[in-house]
Amino acid sequence: MDFSAVGAAAAEALTLASFIGIGGGVLLGYVVGVIPGLSRSVAISIAIPMTFYMSPYIAISFLIGLSKGTAAGSAVSAILLNAPGEASSAATALDGYPMAKQGKPKTALQIGLIASVMGDILATIILIFVAIPFARVALMFGPYEMAAILAFALVFIAGLSGGNIFKGLAAGGLGILLGTVGLDNQTGLPRLTFGYTELMDGMPLIAVAIGTLALSEMFVQSEKLRYERGTMSVALKKDDSDRMTWPIFRRILPTILRGTGVGTFVGALPGLGPSVGSFMSYGMAQKAAKEPERFGKGEPKGIAAAESADNAVIPAALIPLFGLGIPGNVSAALLIGAFAIHGITVGPLLLRDNPELLYSIFAGMILASVIMLALGWFGLMFFAQITRVPPHVVIPVVIFFCLAGMMLQGYGTFGLIILMGFALLGYLMKKYDYSFVTFLVAFIITPMLELNLRQSIILSRGNWEILLGRPIAMFFIACTVLALVTLIIRTFRTDKAAAGAPTSE
Amino acid sequence: MKKTFAAILGATMMTAPMAMADDWPTRPLTMVIGFAPGGSTDIQGRVLANVMEEYLGQPVNVVNQPGGGSAVAFTRLKNTEADGNTFLFGGTTALTFTPIITPVEYEIDDFEYLAAVALGQNAIVTSAEQPFSTFDEIIAHGKENQMTYAQQTPLDEAIIRAIAEEEGLDLAIVPTGGGGGMAPLVLGREVDFAYSGGTHAQYTPTGEMVVAAFMSAERSPFYPDTPTLMELGYDYSIEDYRTIIVPQGVPENVKARLLEAAEYASESQSFKDITEGNTFFPVVFIGQEEMEANVRRIRAATEEVMAD
Repeated sequence: MDFSAVGAAAAEALTLASFIGIGGGVLLGYVVGVIPGLSRSVAISIAIPMTFYMSPYIAISFLIGLSKGTAAGSAVSAILLNAPGEASSAATALDGYPMAKQGKPKTALQIGLIASVMGDILATIILIFVAIPFARVALMFGPYEMAAILAFALVFIAGLSGGNIFKGLAAGGLGILLGTVGLDNQTGLPRLTFGYTELMDGMPLIAVAIGTLALSEMFVQSEKLRYERGTMSVALKKDDSDRMTWPIFRRILPTILRGTGVGTFVGALPGLGPSVGSFMSYGMAQKAAKEPERFGKGEPKGIAAAESADNAVIPAALIPLFGLGIPGNVSAALLIGAFAIHGITVGPLLLRDNPELLYSIFAGMILASVIMLALGWFGLMFFAQITRVPPHVVIPVVIFFCLAGMMLQGYGTFGLIILMGFALLGYLMKKYDYSFVTFLVAFIITPMLELNLRQSIILSRGNWEILLGRPIAMFFIACTVLALVTLIIRTFRTDKAAAGAPTSE
Repeated sequence: MKKTFAAILGATMMTAPMAMADDWPTRPLTMVIGFAPGGSTDIQGRVLANVMEEYLGQPVNVVNQPGGGSAVAFTRLKNTEADGNTFLFGGTTALTFTPIITPVEYEIDDFEYLAAVALGQNAIVTSAEQPFSTFDEIIAHGKENQMTYAQQTPLDEAIIRAIAEEEGLDLAIVPTGGGGGMAPLVLGREVDFAYSGGTHAQYTPTGEMVVAAFMSAERSPFYPDTPTLMELGYDYSIEDYRTIIVPQGVPENVKARLLEAAEYASESQSFKDITEGNTFFPVVFIGQEEMEANVRRIRAATEEVMAD
């Protein structure tokens, strides 16, 4: 490592201009993250023109700060309103919202923040010291491996939702069906588009995610408001016991470390993205827990697992970007564009040709994490006040942001109709207890799984023996089978138990 | 007398909208990009918008309208008011190719093609670690071994399929879903060779990827030693002109202003630096007459290839 370059980088990271630039990015990201309907990729694409007038280092750090901010900010609305700001924070809402309802909104927010910041800093450190020299390892994950990992993720995450297996299959099946809408990857022929040009690239993810998660939640809340006035707002007392304590931190620390590991792994593989990371981490935390039945009812480990992985994905997605020039996910792909506008080609040459810039960006990323902690911690008092705003004010505002966010995507009226359709679907799924998590994960994973599976089948020319030379793929196929078997056994047992003693929710 | 009056009336009727349009644009313009942010069209478009803004004195806002390889953007453009305040920047594949295989609601004649400012560089690429690097070597290798190819569009697949048949190759073709998906397959040597719409610019400087042949009509100035498929004796090419496109019926003087702005951009250093330096797309200036002919010629040639 070139120490003079590191020194110069640290010096640049500590200038006033960089504080303002990065701090501004994190703050903007935080706000975008809190608002359901405004997604990370929308925020970055809107912000790119703002960076035209910044130096390359500040511009890139600003955008990375923005990404990090959205990942941390989206936890706030997930915890306080049960309306995650990003699809990747849906897992955070599973335990965050119940915990807030139990009178511990600040504790939940603090756990989310600490998990976010720790996941973020640890993954950044892994990016700096370990990953770039080893980025080529990602190339060992070809279509066979990716297909196996995706199949595992699908079965494993779907298994989380618990409940009735047939309802789970119905929800997952619907997700898979909707995931196949759009132009066929190879022939370019339209599938299930019914002649709508807008559907050629598939159902818009933001409409599906925001519709089934945030907007439908607002319907549920307004219905509650109609019949049981006022239950949405969590009474925020001046309660000194409502804060994260040392024992809680010690209890969730292993979960945070595991979540960071999962998030880094998922982020480093091109294409998987933060939603897969946070749900996978949540599932593993639940599997590892001594009392898994406490998950979904306000378990601190649930929040910690989801948030640490969600944030770890952001720096980890830069591992293949800086190491190979391959973006790990949509936001990383946007960064390539931002780099290009500033005259920088991202890839392995960056380290050789422009080490000062790369180290400055790393320094800026660490600075962004620290600013995020400060902003989140002091902003907490402010954000927690959201719960005191009466629901008849919050609900219309959130609905407005959901619709406005959809309009920003450029789908026009058509997009709004689709959004409303999915909101209705999400509402019905919540009402009749179909797992919307299973639905959403199946929808997100299906296109990637289909592409990789097709590639594998064509490349192997239908000869399955090729897998014998692919130990990583074999490992994940074994895991998938194991997860399936466990799922079947569990359903069998619950069915028996349910038959013996009917349980009530 | 009557005649003069008519002439004067005619003149005023002509000049009134002219005077208004002379100081066009009077309000911010919208540049539509038919792809998601971050791709080569988006990067070029944003820089182009900045330079045009300099020339026209009004902000040029970039709006991304992804979907169906720009098909969604063209559908929208067809239905916008033809005042020149909204125009599209991008390749013409959605007009020369997409309508052949997919039912769409627009046709070539719905638009006018004002000026092309950059040329696409479609290429056949392979990894530097493969035992072959030129297109002839790929073919020679393929005659002895089973080969794999990664496609990105049905058009490049049709061309490669035709060549493979001609040369007697045993070729398996996989979809990739774009340049981002192509790179790991080539670099990880999961496939032997692949189509690249411009992504190779990120990898050839590091020596990881090699351009075996260009699919464009002419050689690239950035890889002067690499031949085109045409030069190698295969009668196929994929041409991609990054063009400024407006709906049919935009007033003449507005079109003239847009053309001037495009010409100004094609001479601007910052547009050249980014387009040529980062995406390896040569900057050109091709006027309306030639572009109208180009679009129709490419469409006819594409129909011929796809008919096979």
